[in-house]
Amino acid sequence: MGLSWRQYKAILRKDIVMELRTKEMVTSMGIYALLTMVVYQIALSQSGSAFDPRQIAAGLLWLAFIFTSMLGLNRSLIHEKDQGCLEALLLSPVDRPVIFFAKATGNLIFLLIVEAITIPLFAFLFLQKGGYAPGAWWMIPLVLFAGSVGIAGVGTLLATMSVNTKGKDVVLAVMMVPLMYPLLLVAVSATTAAILGGDGSTQQFWQGLGMVAAYDAIMILAAYALYEFVVGA
Amino acid sequence: MRQLKIAIVLLLIGGVLTTAAFFMAFYTAEMQSFGTVTFEEQIDTAYPLVGSNDAGYQYGRAWFSQKIFYFHVPVAEASFLILMIAAYFAVRFLMTRRREYDTKSRIAMETSLIFVVLTMITGVLWTKASWNVWWEWEPRLTTYFIMMLMMIAYFVLRNSTEDEERRALYGAVFAILTAINAPISFMITRVIPSSHPVVFQSGMATSNLLPFIIAQIGMLMIGFAVYTMRMSEERLSERVEVAKEELEA
Repeated sequence: MGLSWRQYKAILRKDIVMELRTKEMVTSMGIYALLTMVVYQIALSQSGSAFDPRQIAAGLLWLAFIFTSMLGLNRSLIHEKDQGCLEALLLSPVDRPVIFFAKATGNLIFLLIVEAITIPLFAFLFLQKGGYAPGAWWMIPLVLFAGSVGIAGVGTLLATMSVNTKGKDVVLAVMMVPLMYPLLLVAVSATTAAILGGDGSTQQFWQGLGMVAAYDAIMILAAYALYEFVVGA
Repeated sequence: MRQLKIAIVLLLIGGVLTTAAFFMAFYTAEMQSFGTVTFEEQIDTAYPLVGSNDAGYQYGRAWFSQKIFYFHVPVAEASFLILMIAAYFAVRFLMTRRREYDTKSRIAMETSLIFVVLTMITGVLWTKASWNVWWEWEPRLTTYFIMMLMMIAYFVLRNSTEDEERRALYGAVFAILTAINAPISFMITRVIPSSHPVVFQSGMATSNLLPFIIAQIGMLMIGFAVYTMRMSEERLSERVEVAKEELEA
């Protein structure tokens, strides 16, 4: 256990150090998220003053996160492959699940950083009129974290496959969007409850969060079991 | 070759059974009132309600769109079953790494996709007749659509992977993910109320059950026949490849 933990920390540290030096992933993901906001403005530009963007805010946010995460996931594994790092990792006596969890944690951290930048920006750009979330302040970070765990976990497995295919990004998107459907559906439900508040919102929030957690548990268990086959191929 | 003969026989029997079920659906099956819907309520927009002397209201003609039930449901159930078989072969492949399991898994996935597309077509026809829209983002429809997308993604992934061993491994992994995620999608949307009818909960008359079971058996036979025929085609093309290599050497 102690050895695995040290190996896990070493791989994670490598990812973070590389990111701190290049700042490539967070920058590209951040700019992409910002551009998504600009596109949202176009989409909402004809909606009129009676329309309350808070109604669809959760959906817009998760949409931005899922597409941004795909960009980051691809980057994170293309590095590993092009620079021969993954091969070196596989040659070293490290358990495959350790590699999986370290990579997934790295991706989770970068995704959370981008989310932490995007959400205030989104609130600043779109939610000023209706006021901010009436629910408890920890609700949105909690559901964001739970949802991001699922995105990073499943996404790491899928990206490890897609970097070895001809159409890298496209293949990742084609696999990822349907697999993420249940997670996004319940995450959006919980986030909407947290943003809008009102009657029954607490129940809707916990119900959604519970299902996000269940999805995380099942899919990460599956990804953990299947990673060995994918990474060695 | 023997398997191919069996497959052809099964295909014929399956065809006869589904055709028989088709006629039974129109001639012997009774009207079915679905779940909470009462007879006075108009649910079949293709044929309007007309006044009747004794029973209040009747449909101008038999619930024509209801007859799709005897195909739509058997085909959908066959598609699930075959998907599970594909996932089973994928697991077997990961355990043994034998190529034949990969081929079996892929062919089962192909067969299942055919059935999924058929379910979609029959479903959309029924939706138009009964709800007066071609498509609705309704839980059952959405999740089934998502399942179809995952199966298409399986083939996109395979076609995009060049290395043969890798293609087999990735295919198996994604087939398992599909089989895990499909029930999750279905479960998760259960919290949202669905307007898709649940026929078996409301009880069925024997005269309706009989054509349904016949159609179900027929569909499974056709599915098995399609699978076996594709498998024997696959085996033949493998033999051709081997023969080609030998000739070149």
